[in-house]
Amino acid sequence: MKKKELKKSRLAALLTHEKWGGVAVPMLAILLALITASILLIVMGKNPIVAFISFLQGSGIVPKAKYGGGQGILTDLFTTLNTLAPMLLASLAFIIGFKAGLFNIGIAGQMLISGFTATVIVGYSGLGSFIAKPLVVVVGIVTGGLVGAIIGWLKYRFNIHEVVASVMINYIISYGTGFFINTYYANMLTRSMQICSPESRLTLMNVQIAGMKCNIPLGIVLAIAAAFIVKFIFDKTVFGFELKAVGNNATCAKYTGINVGRRFIFSMAFSGMLAGLAGVVYFLGTYNTILPKTLPGMGYDAIAVAMLGNASPIGAIFAATLISVFQCGSNYMSSNLGVAKEISDLITGILLMFSACGGYFQYVAQRRVSRERDLLKAAEKEKEGEQ
Amino acid sequence: MEKVFIDGLSFAMPLLVMAIGAIYSEKSGITNLAVEGFQGFGAFVGALVAVILMPTLGDGSQTVIYIAMVAAFIGGGIYAILHALLCINFRANQTISGVVINILGTALTAFLTSTANKIMNGDSSNKFILGVCDRFTIPGLSQIPVIGGFFKNMYAFEFIIAGIAVAAWYLMYKTRFGMHLRACGENPQAVDAAGGNVARTRFIAVMLSGALSGVGGICFAYSISANFSPSIYMGYGYLAISAMIFGNWNILPTAAVCLFFGLAKSGGYQLCLNMGLPSNYSDIFMMLPYVLTLILLVFFSKKNHPPKAVGEVYDKGKR
Repeated sequence: MKKKELKKSRLAALLTHEKWGGVAVPMLAILLALITASILLIVMGKNPIVAFISFLQGSGIVPKAKYGGGQGILTDLFTTLNTLAPMLLASLAFIIGFKAGLFNIGIAGQMLISGFTATVIVGYSGLGSFIAKPLVVVVGIVTGGLVGAIIGWLKYRFNIHEVVASVMINYIISYGTGFFINTYYANMLTRSMQICSPESRLTLMNVQIAGMKCNIPLGIVLAIAAAFIVKFIFDKTVFGFELKAVGNNATCAKYTGINVGRRFIFSMAFSGMLAGLAGVVYFLGTYNTILPKTLPGMGYDAIAVAMLGNASPIGAIFAATLISVFQCGSNYMSSNLGVAKEISDLITGILLMFSACGGYFQYVAQRRVSRERDLLKAAEKEKEGEQ
Repeated sequence: MEKVFIDGLSFAMPLLVMAIGAIYSEKSGITNLAVEGFQGFGAFVGALVAVILMPTLGDGSQTVIYIAMVAAFIGGGIYAILHALLCINFRANQTISGVVINILGTALTAFLTSTANKIMNGDSSNKFILGVCDRFTIPGLSQIPVIGGFFKNMYAFEFIIAGIAVAAWYLMYKTRFGMHLRACGENPQAVDAAGGNVARTRFIAVMLSGALSGVGGICFAYSISANFSPSIYMGYGYLAISAMIFGNWNILPTAAVCLFFGLAKSGGYQLCLNMGLPSNYSDIFMMLPYVLTLILLVFFSKKNHPPKAVGEVYDKGKR
């Protein structure tokens, strides 16, 4: 009994620890999600350990039993990286807004419009790859940034809540681009947008590495770099500090002389830029076409990834990796175990649900720690009294 | 012209019941971005019950639809417990909880649909085939020129939703519970001081919100798509939220906004057909409600009053 109590208070201390709490809380969420998923799999009569190993095998982290011709572990690994790159960028986009107290739910729309614009401007242009690829990145960043800036401006100028504005803009973008795709750029066979040129695509297709066919995403370099840039901005620059100040207490920031409205616009524009980058990496990299009138679900998943990573850029790298593994490993897991493929989305959902409770874990732990501290103090006082 | 009214109303009514659901939650102080997930899950439960009952009651039976609506009401309410738990008991950020509920709802219904199909028919399709709800024409009223179109070829569920809407309005504005609920969204501390139970009131409000959204979802499944599939997550939940904001968090103006959205949608579509434009031009008209909301928000957002305490975790110690 006493041992159990000790364990509990150790856990509480860890969760509230200044330095390690940020890691321990998401870890607890992941652990709880894995336990829930395991129970679910056991109920369905499957072995959860085999399932989790299959996820790792399908995403190219653990080697599979056998591979098709010309494929190998690197093939799968690069496929996972292809999902990871846009997801990381999108969750970074969310983090920037979130730190400034803004909730950018419009990442999906910003991704879609920048992917669309880049495909139309560069994807069909026939430019060489050394001009086309950087141009795609620039177009993506500019388009996404503009949409983000509009949302920030609407908040600053007209007091329109950013969630409402972004949801509206999401659907306007979805239907607007859908109209143009269906009218001018549709591929009559697949009903999706005509594919962009390989020169403009940010993923190098079918590269041979050690006899394995790999699709190498260039976006992953951008994504990791972006994570460190975002970290640098928040930790080391005045601009980042001001954004955090606005996010923590907008009124206080205003009285210290920070122009809160302008910070709103800047942070939304910055967030939009990263979302736009995510969009081009996704639509002109991971894929090479756009389905009309479909907002990428990744735009919403990214919010949850950011939360799982404790809204820190480095945490987002790990969180995005985890979610990518679940998403990319699902096909192999499904065929290996005969479980519906949708279970990977379900596990992701459960994971996100527990990570949304992160604040609660910390709250409970905090209460426990302070209660113990009080008890300790009371005991000390009693001792003093005796003396 | 009649077609505009018929289609407009049959789109507006499910939207209205979802928007009322959103109002209930937000008026009690819980931000509700989860309408999309609620309506999808409610529709799933309704559709599942309908698919199970259809062989015994006959494919064309209309009783199935009413039972499905009740099931959707209950299913949406039960799923909403999750949002309530996260927001009220687990102190999660309410916007994030809403997003998570939507993601989880999409995943859960897709998974359960294919599992249920596998158990029942052996194939793992992600659809439940449903019928279409019966239509009625009200004899006297439909003869009125111009607006008579509203009373022609009505889906049976439109009457039910109208009844629910009136009941919901009465509950919200004319009863003790409704007053407590609204007070929880404005000043929860005062409710607590007066002896009310903030957490319980909010919990019930969120569950009601889920239940009403579920009814909206099953009505969409029984009218527009005639089946239940992942395409139920078309974003109508978000449209309901924008109707709510547009309607300034009050039921009557929201009803007007929903009707306006419905008419804009069907009117645009008919206009598009009459002008002989290809069907993809209808996307432009589909944009209209969202564009109009945005433009009108520019003018009216200063006058908009969301509930004061919405989005905040109720903390007894705070003043």
